[in-house]
Amino acid sequence: MHDTKISITGLRKEFRSGNLSVVALDRCDLQVREGEFICIVGPSGCGKTTLLRILGGLESPSEGEVTVKRTHAGTPLTSMIFQEASIFPWMTVRANVAYGLSLRGVGQAKTDEAVGHFLALTGLEPFADAYPHQLSGGMKQRVSVARAFANDPEILLMDEPFAALDEQNKVVLQEELLRIWSESKKTVIFITHSIDEALVLGDRVLVMSGRPGRLKADLPVSFPRPRAVYDLKGDAEFGRMGREIWMLLREEVVGA
Amino acid sequence: MIRESAAEVRILPDDQERPGVFARLTRSGWFMAVASPAILLILWEGLVRAGLLDARFFPAPSSVVVELVALCRTGELFVHLGYTLSRVAIGFALGAVPGVLVGVVMGLSPVIRAFLQPAISSIYPIPKVALFPLAMLIFGLGEPSKWAIVAVAVFFQVLISTLAGVVNIDRVYLDVAADFRASRWQAYRTIALPGALPFIFTGFQLGLGMALIVVVIAENFGTEHGLGYLIWHSWQIFEVRDMYVGLIMVALLGYTSQLAMARLERSLIPWKRGGHLNIRSTN
Repeated sequence: MHDTKISITGLRKEFRSGNLSVVALDRCDLQVREGEFICIVGPSGCGKTTLLRILGGLESPSEGEVTVKRTHAGTPLTSMIFQEASIFPWMTVRANVAYGLSLRGVGQAKTDEAVGHFLALTGLEPFADAYPHQLSGGMKQRVSVARAFANDPEILLMDEPFAALDEQNKVVLQEELLRIWSESKKTVIFITHSIDEALVLGDRVLVMSGRPGRLKADLPVSFPRPRAVYDLKGDAEFGRMGREIWMLLREEVVGA
Repeated sequence: MIRESAAEVRILPDDQERPGVFARLTRSGWFMAVASPAILLILWEGLVRAGLLDARFFPAPSSVVVELVALCRTGELFVHLGYTLSRVAIGFALGAVPGVLVGVVMGLSPVIRAFLQPAISSIYPIPKVALFPLAMLIFGLGEPSKWAIVAVAVFFQVLISTLAGVVNIDRVYLDVAADFRASRWQAYRTIALPGALPFIFTGFQLGLGMALIVVVIAENFGTEHGLGYLIWHSWQIFEVRDMYVGLIMVALLGYTSQLAMARLERSLIPWKRGGHLNIRSTN
């Protein structure tokens, strides 16, 4: 592949604590192209989050190689969106979104412009000066998304960002994410336990095995974009793929 | 209101009758807060006047008030208050600032924590007043030894609260900082310090209480000013009413400084869910 963005070969991650050791990932291989939206589904505890944390530089691999190609010097390579509420309660929405830029010492004017842009895209403008405790769960995750995008990374790492939301907010945020992503076309690795979510969002769905996690299947998703969540869900191909992924996952969940 | 009969259960709005005067007073937080000390003082005054309490040890509240007014008139009371205030303020600043700094650094660095924890854990339980003779040996009888002992008392309270605050910060926030490649200094400034601020303020409140205890005892030595001096001196010359004036002033000082601290906390921590919600059903 000529435009490979991320290349993972033979990745292994083992956690040790005293005499106990847990192998989270083993013989994990993955290639991601520039600008691709990858969704990873897998049974819980299969090392999806570990894989993401290794890509984000928050954990280091025990074995294997991870190569990420850098296309812009000076901007961050990755930004992570966490599953739980991770926006800082002590900062306003605006300060949260500006966090990455202010750490890097980006000038005030440029920061204001980027922050304003993503506040507008996520519909957070009216809440710019509010504190997180004044926001609903959906709004908080919007801040998380805006914070990661405003940091302008080459790759976005999303760890079940909408898992804690109610069904309606989930759909709204999925569509918002697709809209924001479509204008930037950044490479995205999106972890989810929801098969529907993976099919709605991804260019490819990767299915992981139970622990130790390995990539078990790699399915291209070719629904045309822009996608509307509820149009897709009625599609026959959507149902067929969903069943296929479910059968793959079922073996892992029941077998585990 | 639930009305039951054999055939059905009816759930109806409560009666809309206006509560009586007494019911309204007991529901008012303000009234209830003032009621208990007021009752105590009235009881005390009555018992002294009836000759049932020894006025030499428990002078009637009214006579203490007279004495308090007299001491205000001469300005003597304000001099004592001023000395105590400045000792507490200087000692507090000298103790709280390093307390916060050391607490934050210990909270974020397991190495430094492992290095300092044993020393701190072994010094902390020593009643700080017991260190006052040592402070006087080192700093002499004057003001510096008083600042020092207040500072030591405040330092430990603030340090331990700050440390607890930093250690209790949700891991995910530190992950976010790491993900955004925050430097160590940036992590202190943007995560540890603000994240621990509610705990730090608890430390300030405990430290203030401790500072008052320590200063009142320290003012028994090497000074002729301060509320502590007023209390100890009145005891020596058996001027019991002045002693009560001193006690009242210390209590007032403690109360108002806690109030001021709570107000400062509210303005510095706007992200904390605002105050106590007082929800009443409105039918």
